[in-house]
Amino acid sequence: MQLSTRTIVTAGVLIAVALVLAITGLGYFPVPNVTDSATIMHVPSIVGGVLEGPVVGLIIGIVFAIDAYIRFGGLFAGAPAYLPFVILLAPRLFIGIVAALVYRALKSKNEIVALIVAAAAGTLTNTVLVLGLAVLFWNQIPFFASVPGLTPAVFVSGAIPQAVFEIILAIVVTVAVVAAWRRLETRRGSSV
Amino acid sequence: MRDMAENFELLRNVTIGQYIPTGSVIHRLDPRAKLIALTLIIVAFTITLSPWITLALVGLVFGIARLARIPFAYLARGLLPILPFLFIIFVLQIIFRGLGDVQGRVIFEWWFLRITENSWPLATVGILRVIAFLSLASLLTLTTTTTHLTHGIESLLSPLRLIGFPAHEIALVFAIAFRFVPTLIEELDRVARAQASRLGNIGATTRWRLDKTLRARLPLIVPLFLSALRRGEELILAMEARCYVSGAGRTRFWHFTPTTLDYAVVIGAFALVAVVWWLGSRVG
Repeated sequence: MQLSTRTIVTAGVLIAVALVLAITGLGYFPVPNVTDSATIMHVPSIVGGVLEGPVVGLIIGIVFAIDAYIRFGGLFAGAPAYLPFVILLAPRLFIGIVAALVYRALKSKNEIVALIVAAAAGTLTNTVLVLGLAVLFWNQIPFFASVPGLTPAVFVSGAIPQAVFEIILAIVVTVAVVAAWRRLETRRGSSV
Repeated sequence: MRDMAENFELLRNVTIGQYIPTGSVIHRLDPRAKLIALTLIIVAFTITLSPWITLALVGLVFGIARLARIPFAYLARGLLPILPFLFIIFVLQIIFRGLGDVQGRVIFEWWFLRITENSWPLATVGILRVIAFLSLASLLTLTTTTTHLTHGIESLLSPLRLIGFPAHEIALVFAIAFRFVPTLIEELDRVARAQASRLGNIGATTRWRLDKTLRARLPLIVPLFLSALRRGEELILAMEARCYVSGAGRTRFWHFTPTTLDYAVVIGAFALVAVVWWLGSRVG
């Protein structure tokens, strides 16, 4: 398998963006939910997928995966050692792939609509896979069992507002960045 | 104005991606030995649930920092941005793990707060692991130049070339990423100051008004992406002008020959995992 110079460099600089968003906290927006934040850490992966294809999206997803492991890995203390990798790492690798495929399928009709749907699809891939896998392995995670009254249904319904926040954030940031980069015509006139 | 000042402070607290040449013994180690040892120390952290063993391992990480002559305060600064998040996770774990642990002996109880013999160790281990992982990542880049790190990663991934894995290219991706982090931080700092000088409220964060936070942060986030992509285009042009071809056989300026110390470090890291495993089965 060979990667083009463009693939290597774009993946590299967008990973750097993801690292900067993670390190400075700019990638986490304070919202009133249980983790106190909604993230745009998946947006570099979506932007990479949209601009350069699924391989770039996948490579950039690794950073969000590691960041999620560092932040939430502690909740898995007492669970089987492979579980944090399955739940926190694996879903992040698919964000850019799904966003790239959705964007490719829709861009011939309307590029802005394609960007909006790709950003939403990429974000939903992350949310659905993480929640789905957490529910699937529910009984193997001692922390979930320790929270009184926490059932899979309560857990999923509690995550819905956060998912909505993250979809809105991903759409706004992805459209703003890609439209500015490609100088697309938006309703506000020519960007940049 | 306080928000803006905090924002600038935040940008100065980045230790990952920086390199401090102190010439220490850690700096002189083969990058492959460092990468293997780092991976094994992370494994040692993940196989124990004992807070005491985890605390000892955190001590080891800071011991390595001392050996590398990296000031403790400098390393600790890199943890600042994530501290509020860690605190929330810790409080959540202390509250809920305590409430859920009906069999464990209660150590402290007040209103809804219930700390048991099983709840505090797990909450503590979770937080200590995050602190250690971040410190280790910072230590790796603080003691290893980007070039050495790239060659180290490429060399360790090279066996995967047999199944078609692009080891060199992936190593280059991460080298570019690490090289660009300080540049983008500087760029972000410049944009933030430019926005602030025009009275842009860049640091405004309102928990209940996502639109306000978004409007305050977009003028930082969009230029960050665009600057990265623009610099990327320049780099692509520069690489192609120098006839860079992915996958082409190329020679290296740097050649690494492992020394006895490098072997000792790797063997020591394996021994550490074994000891933690053995102690974990005894301490529990």
